[in-house]
Amino acid sequence: MSQPPASITCTDLTLRFPVYGVDAKSLKKALARVVAVGGQLGRHAGVTDVTALQGVNLQLKAGDRLGLIGHNGSGKTTLLRALSGAYEPDEGTIEVQGRIAALLDLSLGIDATATGYENIRLRGRIAGLSSREIDERMDELAAFTGLGPFLAMPVKTYSAGMQARLAFAAATAVEADVLLMDEWIAVGDADFQKLAHKRLLKLVERAGILVLASHEVSLLRLYCNKVMRLEGGVASEVVDIRRLDELMAA
Amino acid sequence: MDTATHMLRTGQRGALSQLQLAFRDLRNSFQRIGLAWSLATHDVGSRYRGSILGPFWITLSMGLMVLGIGVVYANLFHISLQNFLPYVALGIVFFGVMTGTINEGCETFVQAAGMLSQTSLPMFTFVWRTLFRNLIYLAHHLVIVVAVLAYYGYWRTADPLVALLGIALMLLNASWVSMLAGIASARFRDIPQIVVSVMQFAIFMTPVFWPADKFDGHREVLDFNPFYHLLQAVRAPLLGQAVAPLSYVVLVTMALVGWSFTFAIFARTRRRIVHYL
Repeated sequence: MSQPPASITCTDLTLRFPVYGVDAKSLKKALARVVAVGGQLGRHAGVTDVTALQGVNLQLKAGDRLGLIGHNGSGKTTLLRALSGAYEPDEGTIEVQGRIAALLDLSLGIDATATGYENIRLRGRIAGLSSREIDERMDELAAFTGLGPFLAMPVKTYSAGMQARLAFAAATAVEADVLLMDEWIAVGDADFQKLAHKRLLKLVERAGILVLASHEVSLLRLYCNKVMRLEGGVASEVVDIRRLDELMAA
Repeated sequence: MDTATHMLRTGQRGALSQLQLAFRDLRNSFQRIGLAWSLATHDVGSRYRGSILGPFWITLSMGLMVLGIGVVYANLFHISLQNFLPYVALGIVFFGVMTGTINEGCETFVQAAGMLSQTSLPMFTFVWRTLFRNLIYLAHHLVIVVAVLAYYGYWRTADPLVALLGIALMLLNASWVSMLAGIASARFRDIPQIVVSVMQFAIFMTPVFWPADKFDGHREVLDFNPFYHLLQAVRAPLLGQAVAPLSYVVLVTMALVGWSFTFAIFARTRRRIVHYL
């Protein structure tokens, strides 16, 4: 079809989080502050910013599998969320071409009182599938979870491992062009992990682009061909995966 | 697959672009209106899972309230049940929809925190979700309305088309209040309490339980009460009465001013809402 190939472009992406303290969430405090600073409302008086990403430039095209490394709080997840479209940049631009699937939080949209089928349906709807698309895929998904008759039972009756299976199946129902992952999310017991690995690999193969944040060097070597390091919200250059050691040492 | 496959997010580029982005959010929400509906039906389903009557429980409790208040107040005010019960029934049902939409509006964004922080779903989707949920409840309560109107013979004089116009105006107004409450509640956690108190106050200040014509001496209590006009636009035509032109003027003005204001606030805060949560 005439669709342009998948791509991700970030230019000078800067993201700041305003921190509204627990106290600042009370109206009284805000009113008091307005009075205290003499009515300078436009100044965002007293709101502290945390700069989570600063001047990140990133250019990915179809076939790129980017690994993100960095310490806790270095901005990996923030970058993934920004790429998913949830966070708006304060400066710079993000442009993503292609259908995005963000596998950041498997429990997204999982309702413990609803049945497995209902949860798959809901999650699929959130991910952008139409009801018909979900119906078409339901059998395959149901078989994949291996939960059989339990799918008609409320999720709260599931064990943690079963819940993980369901969540994984539901979250990976979408065939995306851009796949965002916070840690490699293969879950469940040994058998299921094998299945999950296979399914993820298939998704990655189909998706034009993968962005994977992980601390597991071996995983990154396995699945990525490029790597970028974040340090306090500042990004390194994107380098070939073979230079991973260099990047980690830097 | 007709989902949007292109996403562009930019930094702040002045008020005009903010406004355009807000409109784009609105447009996207209409393109995926089915999602809002799915979420709303799921909400209703999960709230009443396992109960036999489901949402009809609120219909039942509302019916009892209508009956109780109707009979007692009809005696107090010396009005015949024939006149008073339908009046109270319609008042409670339709005021309930307004209260529900506005009170639950406070939770609109707070409840959606998980989805908002990792997807690019339009914010308006969640506003419609709250509205649709309350429409589903209204559909259940219509049982009361139909029963009362049929039993007391009002169906002969009722004008459902004009009432439908009234319902549309009511929803148009309730939805902007609901959205405004949602944005404000995301930022300030005191707002839900304030909203609930105000709505509680409003239900007693508005002729829901008491006949409006008993208040002849103090028309201003009615004329300056937006809820009175909202209610009248729906109730009067169903009772076979005419709606005062003033009510329509008030409702249309309120919808225009209210939506403009809410939309301006939304355009300003849109990129911040996810950080409030």
